Amino acid sequence: MATMAEPVGPMRPNIPSADIQLPAIKDFEQVDNEIANTLKPTKAWFLGLMVAVGCMLIGASAWTFQVYAGLGNAGYVPPVMWGVYIITFVFWVGIGHAGTLISAILYLFRAGFRTTIYRASEAMTVFAVMTAGLFPIIHIGRPWKFFWLIPYPNWRLLWPNFKSPLVWDVFAISTYLTISTTFLYIGLIPDIAVIRDREKNPTRKLILSILSLGWKNTDREWRHFTRAYLFLAAFSTPLVLSVHSVVSFDFAMALTPGWHATIFPPYFVAGAIFSGFAMVWTILIPIRKWWKLEHYVTLNHLDATAKVVLFTSLVVGCAYLVEFWVAWYSGVKPEQEYFWNRVFGEWWWSAWIMLICNMVLPLSLFSQKLRRNTAWLFILSIFINIGMWFERFVIVVPSLSHEFEPWQWTTYVPSWIDMSFLIGSFGWFFMWFLLFIKQLPVMAIIEVKEIVPARRAAAGQGGHH
Amino acid sequence: MPGLVANFRELDRTVSAIKELQRKRLGNLTVYSPTIHHELEDAIEAPPSPVRRFTLIGGLCGVSFGYWVAIWTSDYWPLVVGGKAIASWIPYTIIGFEMMVMVGALSTVFGMFINSRIPKLVVDVAYDPKYSNGDYGIFVDCPPEKEKDAEGLFKAHGATEVRHAR
Repeated sequence: MATMAEPVGPMRPNIPSADIQLPAIKDFEQVDNEIANTLKPTKAWFLGLMVAVGCMLIGASAWTFQVYAGLGNAGYVPPVMWGVYIITFVFWVGIGHAGTLISAILYLFRAGFRTTIYRASEAMTVFAVMTAGLFPIIHIGRPWKFFWLIPYPNWRLLWPNFKSPLVWDVFAISTYLTISTTFLYIGLIPDIAVIRDREKNPTRKLILSILSLGWKNTDREWRHFTRAYLFLAAFSTPLVLSVHSVVSFDFAMALTPGWHATIFPPYFVAGAIFSGFAMVWTILIPIRKWWKLEHYVTLNHLDATAKVVLFTSLVVGCAYLVEFWVAWYSGVKPEQEYFWNRVFGEWWWSAWIMLICNMVLPLSLFSQKLRRNTAWLFILSIFINIGMWFERFVIVVPSLSHEFEPWQWTTYVPSWIDMSFLIGSFGWFFMWFLLFIKQLPVMAIIEVKEIVPARRAAAGQGGHH
Repeated sequence: MPGLVANFRELDRTVSAIKELQRKRLGNLTVYSPTIHHELEDAIEAPPSPVRRFTLIGGLCGVSFGYWVAIWTSDYWPLVVGGKAIASWIPYTIIGFEMMVMVGALSTVFGMFINSRIPKLVVDVAYDPKYSNGDYGIFVDCPPEKEKDAEGLFKAHGATEVRHAR
């Protein structure tokens, strides 16, 4: 049998069967040893963490300055009162989509290629949503008033307006963060128990014992665990699709040209899955290379994810074109002006970055050779993430700066504070992710063991001993 | 509860030992396995997990609370717009849905914890770290007079080690 890293034939990998088998993995001990090996820090990891913390500190310094000096130092020019903060918020919420999609939706569909990639994706989701959640707080300028958005009994008798998409957002994002974190943690419990049982350092062992909640791998625990995991997946599935729909309502519920479109929820969800999968490549391709885990995250797995990216790219590309068509067909002058302005106006370059990165470059994935080329997938993932950030830029800035009244038309230039927050958000995200992969297993040990044939005494039944 | 613990290296031997123990009714069993195996689930013949009830009740409570808080707030602090309902169920469905997911999922986890009896604050004497690695274990809480039968059964099914757990 061919290994997972090598397709069965030169052009036709055996995806239906190969992606649910890992023939290069012989037994449970190998799984424990190889995945636990990722917990050992390396020089590259320390270097990465230093860079991430440095970037995070740039953002933290900018926030400190903004709290001191006021929101006027951001690049806002009325009526462009949404800028880099909201663009970056939507970008990170989108990144957060792929994790729960991979862990929940692909779990329900029994997609074999999710097994070795879902843990890193779930962690990515949690940290991406944590990053996204900072931006509305940064954007309101007075972060200490954030709790006013939460409905709670208070002596001022003030309540939020439940008909506002911004309040829907509060509920959607907080639910998503809570459920993603819960889903990640529940899946981690048996794996933490594996690490706990291998741990020699008494302090770490104690911490891991507390985190594993005294998990002992009993039949009772497994029985309730599998049910709970299934129901969590069932809850997370509509949640994944709803969150970015709700985020899209922030735009679609407004009358602003370029925003007021019923296509926004599916268009945003497809874009989120697209960018999320790209970020999965950005983090997983180096991990599999540095820790020699190519026989876990195989080329077949990456090939399958590339097909998802290609499909969502086509959906997103179709949505871009439909937007133009709807603007033309509607006969609404401001809408038509906006879309003309989008590609030929002041920010033409941002629209073309978006179109090239999100529509044109992913077409390369029609080539199986490129779908199985990890260097190209990594490069493409960077382009896609740039393209998806610019997609949100194209939605926010040209719309607000070019609304109905020509006397209101203005320009927008992000200030150094805006850009510091953008850099800081990447630092914040990667800092948490790097800390995570050094403390907890980056692949689901238990689920990989489910794939590996168990030892059997009876001859010819798949045992390796 | 005192009893006997047996270690097994192979899955099929563990399954056959469980079936034999069930047939001879030597005592209640606790099976340890490094991962989920359907063969073990089938051999143990455990009833369906009641976690689903926690999920249902939690989901219903969540959706009710979500609609209620939005409708109650609108009535308590009305934002009157001509021709528009003060409490409009369509936008409130978003709040109802989010609360259903949040409360439903958290009660599922609560149900799992209650039924699995975690967090475990006491030491499980039958547990061996090998069970999280690659070995299987069966603990039977049999009375002292049946211990010999259980030990013989374990050895006959290829247990690598049999020990008392008290």
